[in-house]
Amino acid sequence: MSLRDDTLLEPSRRVFLKQAATVASGLAIALYLPSGSAASDPKAPAPATEFEPNAWVRIFPDGTVKLVVHKHDSGTGTQTALAACVAEELDVNPMTVQVITPEDPFFDTYIHPVWKVFSTGGSTSVSLEYERLRMAGATARALLIAAAAQQWKVSPDSCSTEEGRVVHLPSKRSLGYGELVGVAAHLPAPASVTLKDPTQFKYIGKLRHKRDAAAKVCGRFKYSIDVQLPGMLVAVIQRAPVVGAKVVSVNSAAALQVPGVRQVLAVPGRPDVLGGNLEGVAVLAKTFWAAQQGRKVLEIKWSDSPLAGFDSAELAKAQAAAISDPNSQTIKAMTHGDVGAQWPHAAQLIEADYRMPYKVQNPLEPICITAHVQDKAITYWGGVQVPSSALEAAQTVCGIAKEKVTINELVSGGSFGAREAKYWLFEVAYLAQQTGVPVKLLNSREDEMHALFNHPATLHRVRGALDAQGKLNALQLHAVSPASPEQWEPGYFERPDHMDYSTTEAITAWDFAYRPPHLELNWVKHESHVPSGWYRSVSFIPNVFAVESFMDELAHAAGADPLAFRLANMQERPRHVAVLKQAAERGGWGQSLPPGTALGIATNQGYSSFIAVVARVAMVDGKPKVEKLTCVVDCGLAVSPGGVEEQIYGGLMWGLGHALFDRLDIQQGRVVQSNFHDYRVTRMSDMPATDIVVLDGEPGKPGGVGELGSPSVAPAIANALFALTGVRQRSTPLSLG
Amino acid sequence: MIAFTVNGERRELDEASPSMPLLWVLRDQLKLTGTKFGCGMGLCGACTVHLDGVAVRSCQLPLAAVAGHSITTIEGLSPNESHPLQLAWVAEDVPQCGYCQSGQIMSAAALLNTGAAVTDDSIRNAMSGNICRCGTYGRINKAIKRAANAPKEA
Repeated sequence: MSLRDDTLLEPSRRVFLKQAATVASGLAIALYLPSGSAASDPKAPAPATEFEPNAWVRIFPDGTVKLVVHKHDSGTGTQTALAACVAEELDVNPMTVQVITPEDPFFDTYIHPVWKVFSTGGSTSVSLEYERLRMAGATARALLIAAAAQQWKVSPDSCSTEEGRVVHLPSKRSLGYGELVGVAAHLPAPASVTLKDPTQFKYIGKLRHKRDAAAKVCGRFKYSIDVQLPGMLVAVIQRAPVVGAKVVSVNSAAALQVPGVRQVLAVPGRPDVLGGNLEGVAVLAKTFWAAQQGRKVLEIKWSDSPLAGFDSAELAKAQAAAISDPNSQTIKAMTHGDVGAQWPHAAQLIEADYRMPYKVQNPLEPICITAHVQDKAITYWGGVQVPSSALEAAQTVCGIAKEKVTINELVSGGSFGAREAKYWLFEVAYLAQQTGVPVKLLNSREDEMHALFNHPATLHRVRGALDAQGKLNALQLHAVSPASPEQWEPGYFERPDHMDYSTTEAITAWDFAYRPPHLELNWVKHESHVPSGWYRSVSFIPNVFAVESFMDELAHAAGADPLAFRLANMQERPRHVAVLKQAAERGGWGQSLPPGTALGIATNQGYSSFIAVVARVAMVDGKPKVEKLTCVVDCGLAVSPGGVEEQIYGGLMWGLGHALFDRLDIQQGRVVQSNFHDYRVTRMSDMPATDIVVLDGEPGKPGGVGELGSPSVAPAIANALFALTGVRQRSTPLSLG
Repeated sequence: MIAFTVNGERRELDEASPSMPLLWVLRDQLKLTGTKFGCGMGLCGACTVHLDGVAVRSCQLPLAAVAGHSITTIEGLSPNESHPLQLAWVAEDVPQCGYCQSGQIMSAAALLNTGAAVTDDSIRNAMSGNICRCGTYGRINKAIKRAANAPKEA
């Protein structure tokens, strides 16, 4: 399989050559070596043209090896896992080698291979980069071996490597990688390289630790919030309380009297930009505390807004109306047979509506970013998950060109989609442009709750026809939700199928598990005009909640076992069947349970990975309690098994939050909740026992896991609660009585 | 002037506002940035430090309230980053994003300081004021047990 994208080839070479010059005296290995190096030696073979360029390896004469990780790490262990892919093939230790972020974040090779923007997300970092990062390491290693073989005048085949050294066993000679830099830098790229046989892996599939734990347990690790620059001002922004409201007037006199406050600036909204910021008023001060004191005494008059009458409690009515409205944009995500023709013949016709509310990502480190504009250039410091958005902000707000955008990338204190929003990049670019000094923009928790670029509220209507034998004959779904922020990406509106792949997760042919004879899965595009954003597991959450709850309802209506009913409706899905069966067995399905205890099951697939979850609930002091979550995961090859386990645990925790806590209300256009007292998140005391099993999947390919864990949890719990209490709950957060 | 002890060192602050929360004094004036801001309402625990050995939320503690007291932050928990909890946290590979972990460790250290038995219940009681959004509660539980069972220094 070729991973090469020819459209990227030419620009990549040009940019890379420019970049290679910046790593002076180093060996920046590109597979497409500059043609000059081959031309200088007429006998050298022509450069190979069958591999991707390689922008991930830097080796210096002193032996220092630096691996570039071009993906943002928000705590998911991306740096460790990606470094391991290169390091494994290069034969260096991924735990001790230096890892750096890109010198040029806009080097074409770093572009997301599917989305064509510079971004991290969608649980794709390991699954989509695995092969080319291994190739990068293997090619660098081949060049170093060739360099040593040339020096020793032996065949490269007689050489091997041992953690940073090329070794010639027959003559017991060895050279460190650093000693080979000078020669290797001028060698033509090998025509082909051999990747390690997976049985030879030293790190991939074996990693149990991440690189940065030691720095994170003693307060040494630096986050965006810790950036400190000379002359820097800290900004807080009072954003429009209702979407679309504009600043009518600001009285900043009292704010400017607060010690430490330096400036008050109106921040224009960017409704012209998809995902752009709302209007706001910024207080800039020497410290965050001073800025917050100044903000408290700001007097802002806001204009009215068409959304001032918006009430999230009423949204479901409008969403339901959209299903039957002939003017609605309804897109078939998957269809076969003719569901409409089946309803009249159904022995049982079942219909149910499922609702989920707005939810907030709430990374524990609030959004924070520092920027400095000077000499028509902008420099950012902080966790930038989407460099393309930082670039868009620079270009749109400041008129700054791509080559004048620098990003000092930091690991962030969680994202869960929050750092894929772009409003804060637009705001900080504006403030940096206006002030000419470094500006650190920091959200308060209240700002995070009110930011609105979060998970949209949804309505799902599902209808099913059972025949006289209780077999599922037809299934129809209308998933009503706004388009995802995928619409911010170039090319979205030109798609011939009008599909929004991020809104139809779990309900398209490749990840919908069930195959009744007649099937119709629709997305009804309904825009409330409240901005929505990315959120860990995106539309898998409501889509899986609806489908897996409804499958349970159908099973009960058919008098069937919910596990058997699911399996009966799956065809040619061996991996899906396997996780379901194993999770059921491990979770005690079909075994006798203590009195007052019940189980629920649910499953989802996505990111080329599979999971099934069994929830056990029990009556404790007259109230249902979630006692245990058991899950079985097949993610193919687990590059970092420790990382997979913790991502799944985190996913289960998030799923429990969806089931029991997450809920943001909007009344009269304003967000009701403000902090963790009225927006609950999962605490240690809420966590049930967990049993996580990661199967030894196919060795070839890793699937994604960052967003796999949560979607099945809420339906599994809802299904268990039905089994326990006989009451079906169809909207979250679920009530525990 | 307000004087107090931070990580064993006496500090005298002349220009600090007495009402400024200790969190921001630590971070912005004393440049001890290991203590984190998460909610500003004492709800998430990211800002947890010790006041005379007891876990407190520094975002809720005005500077005036710490005058004459002894504060320990994550930077002062151990002289060479080798507190049994820090070692256990690394051994169990607890941190994901790591942002909450200073506060988690300070809460756990306060629990160990009490000498109370380390059980699932006592861990849950001591740690449920500390929010982790990544999902490290399971490993935190293991790490605290590991630290509690670590051989004591002679």
